[in-house]
Amino acid sequence: MSIDANDPRLTAYALGELAGEERAAFERELNGDAALLEEIDAIAAMASLLEGELASEEGEGLGAKGQEAFMAGLAVEASAGRPGRAVEGAACEAPSARVIPFPFWKVGLLASAAASVLLLLVYVGTATMAPGDEAAVASSEAGTPERGWEVAPPEQEGQEGQEGEQGSTTEGLKVPVGEAPSAPPVSATPPPDAVSPTVPMPPPVSTEPVVASADVANGDGHVTITAKPQGVQLRVDGRLAGGDLGTLKLQQGFHGVVPGQGQADGYGAFGLLGGHQDEDVDGIPTDGDGRWRSGVARGESYAKVEENAFKDVRTDPLSTFSVDVDTASYSNVRRFLRRNTLPPMDAVRIEELINYFDYSYAPPQGDDPFAVHLEVADSPFDAAQGGAPARRLVRIGLKGREIHAQQRPPSNLVFLLDVSGSMEAPNKLPLLKQSLGMLVKQLGEKDRVAIVVYAGASGLALPSTSANQTGTILGALNRLNAGGSTNGGAGLELAYRVATEHFVPGGTNRVILATDGDFNVGVTHGGDLQRLIEDKARSGVFLSVLGFGMGDLHDRTMETLADKGNGNYAYIDTPQEAQKVLVDQLSGTLVTIAKDVKLQVEFNPAQVQSYRLVGYSNRMLAARDFNDDQKDAGEIGAGHAVTALYEVIPVRGASAPGVDPLKYQAPGTLTPEAASRELLTVKLRFKQPDGDTSTLRTFPLEDAGRPLSQASADLRFAAAVAMYGQLLAGSAYNEGVTWARTRELAQGALGVDAHGYRREFVELVDVAARLER
Amino acid sequence: MADAVDEARIGWVRQALSDHERSLVRYVARLLGDEEAAREVVQEAYLRLWRASGESDPRPGADGHLRPWLFTVCRNRALDALRREGRMRTMELDEAARAPSPRPGPSEQAEKRESMGRALEALERLPASQREVIRLKFQEGLSYKEISAITGHSVGNVGTLLHVGIKTLRAALSEDEGVTNARRRTP
Repeated sequence: MSIDANDPRLTAYALGELAGEERAAFERELNGDAALLEEIDAIAAMASLLEGELASEEGEGLGAKGQEAFMAGLAVEASAGRPGRAVEGAACEAPSARVIPFPFWKVGLLASAAASVLLLLVYVGTATMAPGDEAAVASSEAGTPERGWEVAPPEQEGQEGQEGEQGSTTEGLKVPVGEAPSAPPVSATPPPDAVSPTVPMPPPVSTEPVVASADVANGDGHVTITAKPQGVQLRVDGRLAGGDLGTLKLQQGFHGVVPGQGQADGYGAFGLLGGHQDEDVDGIPTDGDGRWRSGVARGESYAKVEENAFKDVRTDPLSTFSVDVDTASYSNVRRFLRRNTLPPMDAVRIEELINYFDYSYAPPQGDDPFAVHLEVADSPFDAAQGGAPARRLVRIGLKGREIHAQQRPPSNLVFLLDVSGSMEAPNKLPLLKQSLGMLVKQLGEKDRVAIVVYAGASGLALPSTSANQTGTILGALNRLNAGGSTNGGAGLELAYRVATEHFVPGGTNRVILATDGDFNVGVTHGGDLQRLIEDKARSGVFLSVLGFGMGDLHDRTMETLADKGNGNYAYIDTPQEAQKVLVDQLSGTLVTIAKDVKLQVEFNPAQVQSYRLVGYSNRMLAARDFNDDQKDAGEIGAGHAVTALYEVIPVRGASAPGVDPLKYQAPGTLTPEAASRELLTVKLRFKQPDGDTSTLRTFPLEDAGRPLSQASADLRFAAAVAMYGQLLAGSAYNEGVTWARTRELAQGALGVDAHGYRREFVELVDVAARLER
Repeated sequence: MADAVDEARIGWVRQALSDHERSLVRYVARLLGDEEAAREVVQEAYLRLWRASGESDPRPGADGHLRPWLFTVCRNRALDALRREGRMRTMELDEAARAPSPRPGPSEQAEKRESMGRALEALERLPASQREVIRLKFQEGLSYKEISAITGHSVGNVGTLLHVGIKTLRAALSEDEGVTNARRRTP
């Protein structure tokens, strides 16, 4: 035998490096030798172990900010010089090795408009800044650990006579949002004044008047500081936690020297200069305390949330909405708080916070997929303390039928995994592999799993495989590597094709998309993707979305996809969250027990003056949609609980500010039922998972006048979560809501809390309270 | 003013950057033992890519070999840097191997050690040339041919380095299997 254990072809063969004739020849030589085949298996096992462990190795890379800074530099080179030539006098002249005395990425430059991030322009003026002190000096110190924002006297005098009219004002300016378009434009070229030769910079720093550029430590962003005739311009690319530039902390790499003395004492929003392609750029950039209203935390996009207001029962007796069992907002908000940052307000979807938790609602008895539990007590949102609060809190609790693991119908799952370059971070692909590994271990022989990956090209990484071949599936998962751009569309089509090919009638047929939400190549245009997903949902293949990672999270895209695909959207930030979603609540994640679940509440005008629905802002439906079976709504999985809270103002209570009585109309006539003690009637419509027509159930509620202290722990806890959400979202109805009350209410309503989720919530309340201070 | 051609070039470099920079930084950081210096090297490589994309037609890597091209440039630049600092007198990489690895803080270090798998521990004890090839193969997913182009080893040599490296790792792991298991059980 010519092959011994030292033959490197064994390894080449095990790794699939031998091809064609070479491979055939080697196989002939092997001749089925058991010892050699074992050797090859051992090599392959070692290879897969190495791949797995090496994949988990951390690496920051340049980071999104580093990439942006670099690209900004290139944009300047592109605009300043001919392609391929270094810019004279600029930092890029790099003939040989010692070279690049001041690489532009160290200096930091204006980002190009091509960078589709939301930019916030901030001018800083200092009360003590004298005209002529504008010049500032850059000092770049790579590797310097976190530093505070340093304020020091200028190292070089600026030129006289360059003070602009609006320069050196004592306060930051706040320009109304409507004027945003007139704000100084940022283009691929620096603004004209930015290259003004009248702003002296010490050589060999480039003629760019960029003073410093750094990452924000107390937030999530990047700051570029540019010398301007009228002062120093700070450009924040991202989000500040405190919003107070006086405490702006810059991370390693640079420290800038702000001219003048004293602290930077002003800031102001100048509106939006760029615009994220997925973002409503008409959002209000800040709410005045520096938090971004229309939150974009470095590339993350969130749809704007419009809070539901109090509605008058006489004019709006019906409140209609779609259920939502998503929980992503809760874990996403938690991620921000764990980083000691307040979340963008629009990242807070209160219903998702409330529905994150388990409530002890009894499951249904009969054939119906749910039980409905109603309760009413004093509203903790009410500011009136000590007396009888005027407002009442109604809790509507839906509990889906539970399905135990053994009874779970067979599943045909297709994992559609994003392996694009952006997924390389440790909290993305490695966590994804780990999470799906946990899921695979829950599956049995009646289940099937296929893996489709998408990046530059999409492909089938694992054909549909019986889930009892755990090793094969885990091996395929482990071999995935990140790299390439994202083409979610093609991947999605392939995933649906595989799911359709292995369709299990009466079973769970589901594509599980795991991504950071960055669908950036050739998709989503004209809603094609959405239509595809809706079509497939109708054919019985549902879509669930698992969000991973930070930085590129496109929250809205992901929620929409899951919504259209009759699926759910969870955000996986930790292995513990994966355990919750993919192991503990697997049946709920996989098995849909009812679809298009809609709620309509009719209020009794004899009892209720006005009401408001807490959360569900983007789930509202028109009253007529309730009976329209063509109208898509939310799905409920096995064992899922859905909770909705209404704050109501009884007729006998204090009047809410509203419109004057009508001059030409009298209130409509009341039916005999209005004379009952019923506060409201909850109407519920749902379809069977494979049905087309809906079933209606109605549940009236009477108010027994219970105080909050006698309400169930579930009501009190849900109320505390809603208060937390309202505080984080900057609700207009926070008059009686404080962090202290929130904490107290939650602490007194922990219940059994088998998984410790409620205790964790109390911790998050403390973190948020500290950050808001 | 950036014209349309420049826009396309910028877009292309941006894509190349987001696709590969992280693995390049990781790779170079291993060679240099310094993550900050690695970032510099990688950015220099991209700067070269940018300039070359304006001068040469077709663009470097336009034939689907962008990734190996970037690795090659990064590796050469990293070796230049080592030579400049006098840390390497020859092309021998083992010299660099003895340089301290990227410097994480003490807490990070402890964390890293804890999360470090057994195979990685053993990998650190291999000669640098084997380590490098193993990383390129199993971390970056490059082929023998691509690794050969990057490192200058012949394809056959790449195969031998990998084979010997894996063999040593297997031996190391089966040797301390008992010990490791015992240690794992008592945290």
